[in-house]
Amino acid sequence: MPETKYLETHEWYILDGESFTVGISDYAQGELGDIVFVTLPEVGQEFSKGDPIVEVEATKTVAEAYAPMNCVITEVNSNLETEPELINNDPVGDGWMVKAEIKEMDDSGMTYQQYESFIS
Amino acid sequence: MSELKTTSLYEFHLSKNSKMIDFAGWSMPFSYEGTLKEHNYVRESSGYFDVSHMGRLRLNYSQIEEINYLICSELKDIDNTKALYSIFTSESGTAIDDVIFWKFEDDLILICNASNTTKIKNHLDANSINYDDLTNDTDLIAVQGKDSIAIIEEMMSIPNKFSTSRDSKFTYARTGYTGEDGVEVMLDKKDTLDFVQQLESKGVKPCGLGSRDTLRLEASLPLYGFELTDDISPVEAGLKWTLTNKSEYMGKEAIDNQLNSKDHKYLKRFSLNAKQIARTGTTCKSGDSIGIVTSGNISPILGKPIGFALFETNPSDNLVEFDIRGNLIEGNLLDKRFLS
Repeated sequence: MPETKYLETHEWYILDGESFTVGISDYAQGELGDIVFVTLPEVGQEFSKGDPIVEVEATKTVAEAYAPMNCVITEVNSNLETEPELINNDPVGDGWMVKAEIKEMDDSGMTYQQYESFIS
Repeated sequence: MSELKTTSLYEFHLSKNSKMIDFAGWSMPFSYEGTLKEHNYVRESSGYFDVSHMGRLRLNYSQIEEINYLICSELKDIDNTKALYSIFTSESGTAIDDVIFWKFEDDLILICNASNTTKIKNHLDANSINYDDLTNDTDLIAVQGKDSIAIIEEMMSIPNKFSTSRDSKFTYARTGYTGEDGVEVMLDKKDTLDFVQQLESKGVKPCGLGSRDTLRLEASLPLYGFELTDDISPVEAGLKWTLTNKSEYMGKEAIDNQLNSKDHKYLKRFSLNAKQIARTGTTCKSGDSIGIVTSGNISPILGKPIGFALFETNPSDNLVEFDIRGNLIEGNLLDKRFLS
């Protein structure tokens, strides 16, 4: 089972063959406060590594989640449209944001341990 | 950098896993369980806020004429049991601070914004008003929400709305800044922990400054530093109702000029039917009038983004366009308050 990896911009991703799932970390949701709106991309949209893919409006501030690698969106978590708080409640589970097909593999994210020391 | 000031409940807040923020030189609770939950406690039942960072000055009743000269509202002619929201105005009619006075037979308690405590003290000094600074010896707890009166009446006798009271332990008024009924209670530091523990045992939830901000915004109440500043007058901030001072007062001429000419900035409420929040500093345009957002956030009750924007001239249209990170998002200017 592939490991969940983390980016310095506080996204997590998990590889699944030719695809991956992405969301934001528990640390990130805690810093944002209550998430009230999520703007998701469209299925089929293409992104390059580092492009903003999801916009998250929270009571404290606004943030974007960035693409961890070049990809095409294959599925979005439409539950977030009506229950954006899923990101606060379960950021690395039910609060996932999008699934995407990998265009160019880049598995350079940090392990959880590395990420923990990065944020501390 | 000087060390942050803390209230006597600091350790208690930490023990409740509060997220702390630096606010006007104080380390204060931002939230405990989350801003939206705390917002809803106040709207649906009852919550309490540690607002001990706010300045508290005791003023002499004998100087009420002089104090009355420094604010835009009538203080001296109201009953000696009243609480009064007012604004210290400068010679040019702009807001030095918005404050609450608690009026008693023998003295007055002035509650000012934490960020303005020094400024207000200097202003009082410059105008030969004596005061006794109680900020460091007391705490201030706001108990707010529709159930708050029923709960707190077991602990103190409840005055009428916007009225003050005092007993051996508490100096308080039936005031607040959330749009809900409640009391604000000043008490000796040694009594504060016991007081909030009693509140909690009666089901009153701790709330942080995050929800205080969403509550005051949803209740259409201005916040100093955003809707009111050294550059904004009460007329411009849409607070004409505070202009009740029947005598001469500092800044009256400039304020009367604005009232007559209508040539001034205009603060307007807005809402968006979008998933973007127009936050502080966002530029906007309504017809030919250019504006800037002073505060913006979600209204948990309305379920959509709301806020205040300050326009250079009076917008003739109620449609408004916000530039949110390069995207033009349409919204509406509202004449009525957000909550009816």
